[in-house]
Amino acid sequence: MYILEVKNLKKVYTPRFGGNQVQALSSVSFGVEKGEYVAIMGESGSGKTTLLNILAALDTPTAGDVLLNGRNIGSIPQKEIAAFRRDNLGFVFQDFNLLDTFSIRDNIFLPLVLARKPYQEMERRLTPIARKLGIEPILAKYPYEVSGGEKQRTAIARAIITNPQLILADEPTGALDSRATDGLLRLFREINEEGQTILMVTHSTKAASFAQRVLFIKDGEIFHQLYKGDSSEEEMYQKIADTLTMIATGGERRG
Amino acid sequence: MGRFFYWKLAADNIRKNIQVYLPYILTCTATVAMYYLMHSLSQNSGLGKMSGGDTVQMMLSFGFVVVGIFSAVFLLYTNSFLIKRRKKEFGLFNVLGMEKKHLARIMMYETIYIAVISISAGLIGGIVLSKAMFLLLLKLLRFEVQMGFEISGSAIVFALLLFGTIFFLTLLSNLRQVHLAKPIELLKGGQVGEREPKAKWLLTLSGLASMGTGYYLALTAESPIAALTLFFVAVILVMIGTYCLFTAGSIALLKLLRKNKSYYYRPNRFTTVSGLMYRMQRNAVGLANICILSTMVLVTLSTTVALFVGVEDVLKTRYPRDIVISSYGITDEYIDNLGATVAQVVENHNLVMQDPMEYRMLSFVGIAQGNEFLTDEPSLNISPSRLKTLCFIPSEDYSGLTGEEVQLAQDEVLLYSQGADYEYESLSVLGRTFSVRKQLNELPAVTEWDISGRHFLIVKDMDVVEEMYHAQADVYGEHGSKLTYHLQFDFPGDVSEEGEIAFYKDLRSSLPSGGVSRYIESREAVKDEFYSLYGGLFFLGLFLGILFIMGTVLIIYYKQITEGYEDKERFAIMQKVGMSREEVKRSIRSQVLTVFFLPLIVATVHISVAFPFITKLLAVFSLRNTLLFATCTGGTVLIFALFYGLVYHRTARVYYRIVSM
Ligand SMILES: Nc1ncnc2c1ncn2[C@@H]1O[C@H](COP(=O)(O)OP(=O)(O)O)[C@@H](O)[C@H]1O
Ligand SMILES: [Mg+2]
Repeated sequence: MYILEVKNLKKVYTPRFGGNQVQALSSVSFGVEKGEYVAIMGESGSGKTTLLNILAALDTPTAGDVLLNGRNIGSIPQKEIAAFRRDNLGFVFQDFNLLDTFSIRDNIFLPLVLARKPYQEMERRLTPIARKLGIEPILAKYPYEVSGGEKQRTAIARAIITNPQLILADEPTGALDSRATDGLLRLFREINEEGQTILMVTHSTKAASFAQRVLFIKDGEIFHQLYKGDSSEEEMYQKIADTLTMIATGGERRG
Repeated sequence: MGRFFYWKLAADNIRKNIQVYLPYILTCTATVAMYYLMHSLSQNSGLGKMSGGDTVQMMLSFGFVVVGIFSAVFLLYTNSFLIKRRKKEFGLFNVLGMEKKHLARIMMYETIYIAVISISAGLIGGIVLSKAMFLLLLKLLRFEVQMGFEISGSAIVFALLLFGTIFFLTLLSNLRQVHLAKPIELLKGGQVGEREPKAKWLLTLSGLASMGTGYYLALTAESPIAALTLFFVAVILVMIGTYCLFTAGSIALLKLLRKNKSYYYRPNRFTTVSGLMYRMQRNAVGLANICILSTMVLVTLSTTVALFVGVEDVLKTRYPRDIVISSYGITDEYIDNLGATVAQVVENHNLVMQDPMEYRMLSFVGIAQGNEFLTDEPSLNISPSRLKTLCFIPSEDYSGLTGEEVQLAQDEVLLYSQGADYEYESLSVLGRTFSVRKQLNELPAVTEWDISGRHFLIVKDMDVVEEMYHAQADVYGEHGSKLTYHLQFDFPGDVSEEGEIAFYKDLRSSLPSGGVSRYIESREAVKDEFYSLYGGLFFLGLFLGILFIMGTVLIIYYKQITEGYEDKERFAIMQKVGMSREEVKRSIRSQVLTVFFLPLIVATVHISVAFPFITKLLAVFSLRNTLLFATCTGGTVLIFALFYGLVYHRTARVYYRIVSM
């Protein structure tokens, strides 16, 4: 039973004021099982962000379906989309997307406040998460006062505090230095080991090597996939690097 | 790169940023035109030749100085908005390899374009409008309309110099900004991490205190003379209070709201309170400026309108009779002589005196201390409200005025108080104590109001008055008062304006002098002066009012646009985190509404508090028609609010378009 199922997704951008149409996704199909940690890799401009935005119902596909827990998100009325997204999905973005008008604590609370949770419950949920992510000392600070790694951990806290079905991450390590990147990837693995399903989009081989499965996207299609199985991060890293070289040199497709 | 490359680039830049540049250019044009209008009118040769025209021209020259100063401050201020918006673009040019000296060149060409466009359009507009303005002014002043068209060379030269300098200054400040900034800062533009504002309790409290004191002073000021001295104190206190409360008070209040967890952590309040805190931090000063500007517009317009509309009222109050002749330092012989002369001139002009009234009087100033009036204290640091004028009138003259016989003992008086109540049974001055036999409710002939309080004492006879005269002359020496004689009368209603003025001129040349100083007041003779004074004030008020409104509108417009670009990102994030479009819209609306209408609301409160205060000030200008003033104030506030609402409507549309782009 897939928690997320994507069928024949197609996306064509039609510029508002004329000009050439851009086919960002031609036909994308895949499934994610509950508790899985999947990475999607592809070159810049290959349609990763487009795919993620459609999965998050931030954008609508030209054709195709997205099923979350068997429910077609295309059939959700526009009015309920925001609540649906809030209750089921957690986001981590490359540029963190924290609000500079809120303290770190309030940034994390934001989805709960929108869901009208009582204050006591917010605090109760925050305590263990903040401890695990090591952001307890900075809760009262403001985004401009903390480092990039801390900002990203805040974004993760905000993403998981609603107990979402699925976490969507778009280049979460893109703005981090290598130390912060390592920390973040370990965190993702820990969260995943506790049962959280994660779908991460990245073009970093290192980030992808932490996932259980890596999908490669090229020319708007899923081109190839790799399972980590029992291999170590180093072995996985090597496999991914080989695959990328193969894709770049236009090698044959393997199933 | 071709010679015209930078010129073309500069022109393209302006065209690309037309949304922010067009209002700026329009405002520059309008200020140039207004400056030219004011300056040229103040030098108009036709106006100078008219009677009372020089008063008006003096006011107009005051006006063009105000317009000049305002333009400089205002254009520099709005320019800072523009450059903030454009920093990112310059940063990009810089990163793409354009050197700072090239940037400077582009900026210079842009400034030249804008300066040339707006100064020439402004001057042309000003010249075209000047005839219409001149006619309007003549109409307001009730001057004869005259033909002819003037172009004032010196106004053009001054406008060129003034606005050339202003544009040069804006260029300098822009160059400085770009020169100092590193490319990366330029790229980030205005959005360098803003600190969370601190609650400044001390500032909040002092704001509350000074606003409270200012209001208290305004509401409790008693006599108009006290109001005059307190005017500036109260205004400055309220201004300080406004700045403190907008900057510190608003943040402190929002912080308090945020402390209350069960209030704060609700969807709408959560985003609104924190959003407002952010907005107030960066906009408080601008909003306080708008508030004070609006208050200035409202006060200027409502008072000048009221004075102009009420000019006939003012004349009636200030000059209750058609003719009033006052003589200082009289003798019995002089009085007889005067009576005969006046009767002769009246007859020569085939007129009749109606309801003539005459009385002799001695008036001098004392410092009230209970029922005692001191004459020997240095009056330097005496509160003005204690200074009272005592006026002695013999009972025979009182009988002549009222037709009422009174028998008074040597130390008895009838007392009539003007501008203040007198609550004692007796009154002591210069060693004499009078017992008040009766307080009078009115006293004919002395309707004119002094700005300080006056006590009229009807005494037994002229001997008592003369005794007081000598007593005060001993104390005051050369500053002492003289005995006065007042004669006043009306003409029948059908006497023409010209007839009255001719009579007045004739009388002025035929009155006996004999060492007596005398003054003749004719209502008709001063009417023109009043019209030119109050009409001039009205014109000035209208003009400056429009200028200030324009300023307010532009500040608001730029605030909204600047915020729009910054809010865009914030609201995009909120939607990603799970806020619906509707919720976002609601939150935006309540924030924008608050920020937009707060200054107007506070300005209206200021005006209402100032109302009794200004009413008293207007009394100094002899306008005592409170209803008229209330109507004018209400009307002005209403029209201004309408205008404000319209501007809100327009800018809100632009704002929403930016945010939802
Ligand atoms: N809003 C848009 N309008 C038009 N074209 C777009 C838009 N967003 C993305 N694209 C195009 O779609 C393609 C895929 O973009 P994107 O999904 O952002 O790629 P990635 O995230 O993998 O770098 C690119 O060619 C991009 O130019
Ligand atoms: Mg991307």
